[in-house]
Amino acid sequence: MRAARISGLFVLLMAGCGGVKPAPPGESPQTGAAQAGPATMAPVVPVTPPRPPAPVVATQGPIAAVAPAERSATSPAPAPAGKSTAKAGAPAAKAAPPASAAQPPRKDIVAQAAGTQKSAPPLDLTSLETRLKDTDAIGVMTKIALKNQVDDLLDQFRAFYAGKVKTTLAELRRAYDLLVLKVLSLLQDSDPSLAAAIVASREAIWGILSDPAKFATI
Amino acid sequence: MSTRVSGWALTISMTAFFAAPSFAADDATTRKDLMAVIALQGLPCGEVVSVKTQGDNDHIATCKDGNRYHVFLNSTGRVVVEKQ
Repeated sequence: MRAARISGLFVLLMAGCGGVKPAPPGESPQTGAAQAGPATMAPVVPVTPPRPPAPVVATQGPIAAVAPAERSATSPAPAPAGKSTAKAGAPAAKAAPPASAAQPPRKDIVAQAAGTQKSAPPLDLTSLETRLKDTDAIGVMTKIALKNQVDDLLDQFRAFYAGKVKTTLAELRRAYDLLVLKVLSLLQDSDPSLAAAIVASREAIWGILSDPAKFATI
Repeated sequence: MSTRVSGWALTISMTAFFAAPSFAADDATTRKDLMAVIALQGLPCGEVVSVKTQGDNDHIATCKDGNRYHVFLNSTGRVVVEKQ
């Protein structure tokens, strides 16, 4: 009889231990949450496994030059973990948030990094000028004629900002667009890379022209 | 003697053979350049069919539609296109 009780108790203990063991790999903390006080200590341990993703983000970080953004994104991750340990209320619910909070920042970081890489306009006026001078896609006379028209447009901007001419910025924009189209039509077949560079810099150049302060620095 | 003459003949013919296309290429480049200049001024032309060069940066361009333009660089460094 005693042997049966002992064996039954042993089986129960084994079953209990067997139920606890699978906990670490998955989201078993929920089972721990169903248990009482001691279970609150157990889930605290599984909270640490979600942290490895944070170092992973840190290792991925050095790829781009956005380390500060990543640090700021990764630093909040430890904070919730600390809060979960401090509260020690529902460990299952707190074990999940760090993971969900750690993953979205990664996407944001990647998006920010991609955004910074794409948004950085390759505006190098000196390089563009040199490439325009050196390209064989435009003849000498055409280059001189184009330079004349660029100078004329710059004179119009100067007169506009000086208040000497009653024209609008929209009209100047139209003239600018027309001139860019002329250049592109000359380049697009024989020097497509330079044409693409001009297209990429188009808005940035307009940003300089349309801003009196920036225009004054030209 | 005959070998020397034939050598000279070969040299001259080879020079003419290679020089002619280069002149043609220059002419095509100039025509294309003048066509772009005329178009940049917004003048009708279509295509430049012949060019008469009068000096450095001074040309008379004849267009396919019959228009003739004097294209030259003036003293202030501006490209001028005058219809003739």
